[in-house]
Amino acid sequence: MKRWLQLSLLFMVCAASQAVHARECPEAPPGIDARRIAVAGGSITEVIYLLGESQRLVAADRTSNYPAEARALPSIGYVRALSAEGVLSVEPTLVLGEHDMGPPEVMAQLRQTRVPVIAFPERFTAAGVVDKVRCVADLLALDSARTAAAVVALQDEARLLAQVVPDPAVKVAVLLGLREGAPIAAGRETSGDGLLAMAGLNNLFAEFSGWKPVSMEAMALAAPDVLVVPERGLAQAGGIDALLAHPALRLTPAARQRRVVAMDGMRMLGFGPRTLGAAAELARQVGTLEEPPVAR
Amino acid sequence: MLSTVRVGRQQRLGLSALVILLASCLLAALSMGAISLSPLAVLAGTASELQETVFAEIRSPRVVLAAAVGSVLGIAGAALQGLFRNPLADPTLIGVSSGAALGAVAMIVLGEATALPAALTPYAIPLAAIGGAVAVTLGLFAFSQRYGQFSIVTILLVGIAINALCTVGIGIFQFLSDDRQLRTLVFWMMGSFGRAQWPLVAPALALMTLGVLWLGKQARDLDLLQLGEIQAQHLGVEVQRLKRYVVFGSAIAVGAAVALSGMIGFVGLVVPHLVRLLLSSTHRLVVPGAALLGASLMVLADLVARTIIVPAELPVSLVTSAIGAPFFLWLIARMRPA
Repeated sequence: MKRWLQLSLLFMVCAASQAVHARECPEAPPGIDARRIAVAGGSITEVIYLLGESQRLVAADRTSNYPAEARALPSIGYVRALSAEGVLSVEPTLVLGEHDMGPPEVMAQLRQTRVPVIAFPERFTAAGVVDKVRCVADLLALDSARTAAAVVALQDEARLLAQVVPDPAVKVAVLLGLREGAPIAAGRETSGDGLLAMAGLNNLFAEFSGWKPVSMEAMALAAPDVLVVPERGLAQAGGIDALLAHPALRLTPAARQRRVVAMDGMRMLGFGPRTLGAAAELARQVGTLEEPPVAR
Repeated sequence: MLSTVRVGRQQRLGLSALVILLASCLLAALSMGAISLSPLAVLAGTASELQETVFAEIRSPRVVLAAAVGSVLGIAGAALQGLFRNPLADPTLIGVSSGAALGAVAMIVLGEATALPAALTPYAIPLAAIGGAVAVTLGLFAFSQRYGQFSIVTILLVGIAINALCTVGIGIFQFLSDDRQLRTLVFWMMGSFGRAQWPLVAPALALMTLGVLWLGKQARDLDLLQLGEIQAQHLGVEVQRLKRYVVFGSAIAVGAAVALSGMIGFVGLVVPHLVRLLLSSTHRLVVPGAALLGASLMVLADLVARTIIVPAELPVSLVTSAIGAPFFLWLIARMRPA
């Protein structure tokens, strides 16, 4: 058992170090004109701002709310409910989006026009974030010093996260908030799970996949030591006191010690450039990362 | 006797007016949208390549689908209200819409596990929805056979039970779904014509046209049925057969409609009443009138949905419900306690 763990850990480290060198990019047709970009996905909007190329953005979806200027862009609606004509009306030369942009029929309609549509795969790892930035830079044919600096800074953050010392003893749950009274927790194959993995933490609710409501008894049984909550979910629950007073959470060790980590939702779960910093911050708060932040 | 009442001149004028209304709605919907283009320029070949693609592959199938779904919901509503002799009947009442929705939702959640060939993928959800509608229809049929006759009360009660079962089923699939499937499912249920593409629209269009024509043929018998089942029987209406025709005709057409566009509320309920208010309550007018007006209103509602917040769009069911729900309340307020 222990050997398996070591082996898989070794494999993971190898995979992580390799991914820093060879990037996995979504397939793109040759000769892309990236002068006018419509984006469906907050993390990609963040990447384009990070690379200093926001003047190319002609529209963004509703999940693109960081940085604040992005909210002023024309909105093409929600990432999963785009309209073909709406997207085309902003005259994009390139459409970039998250893996889940859709619906698929609208993607098919867009493909009938000659506007290239590129979707980035869902990868909840530090290497995935670094790759996303490098792939966008490739698509935009950027080779400025600013791009290089941005990529290097991110790689530093990823390297810092590689120094995290996993602590399987800390029981952590990522909660989206309270829906109809029950806390919604991150299971396997979620951004929340990916965040915990980067911070060297085991997901307390890895037995189910997706975001699911957790009953009072299941929560009491799971007894999380730390709760990770997006700020908006915390606000919707009525603040930290109201959240911890919830019957499902009141009896947990996390509530007794008031160990709640609240961060901007898109920063910690969006898997844009800021998510690496969020994971490091979480790791520092739970003690899996001792190092001070990288000097820039 | 009712069957000899002629369709008056004024009312024939009314129907012609509805045809003209539909034609102008179609023209407006084809000419307006997020991308400015003129259908004339497309036909003359002077439009840009992008405009041509948008017109031929994105806007036209969408407008045609909206018109077909609107006419199906309208005519099915009119026929079912006539059959049940109840002003509150609509296609959701017999459980067909929710059966179709359950089929689609099941496919969204389980589809990936079934490993369908890639060529079938775009058809998977619509086919599952039609499967759900057919299953509900067969259920209705089995009940009607088993109890000897197809009584209106039985259909109503069975419809309510089926609706409840389907709601439970949808709830179960919602719970089983992962994050991504859940979002697909929620947006599917909201209803939209934005997914229309010719390879999908064309076969559904055939089913819907069949349903509309089939229901249209029952209009005269529905008029006689208003006198009461026994009286209609004496006047030569095969009442049992009429019931089956109307229920199954609606089921097939509505199933095809829901399969492509999702759940769109209130059109089936409201449109027949509008025709009654505008023209007459004779089914020979209400039935075709509801098809025409339903198509016009749906095309208009979709036009509003896709142009009001360009470059994004509203779910069309929000537009139809925003108009339909207040009307429904007004209708209830007008009803006298028995």
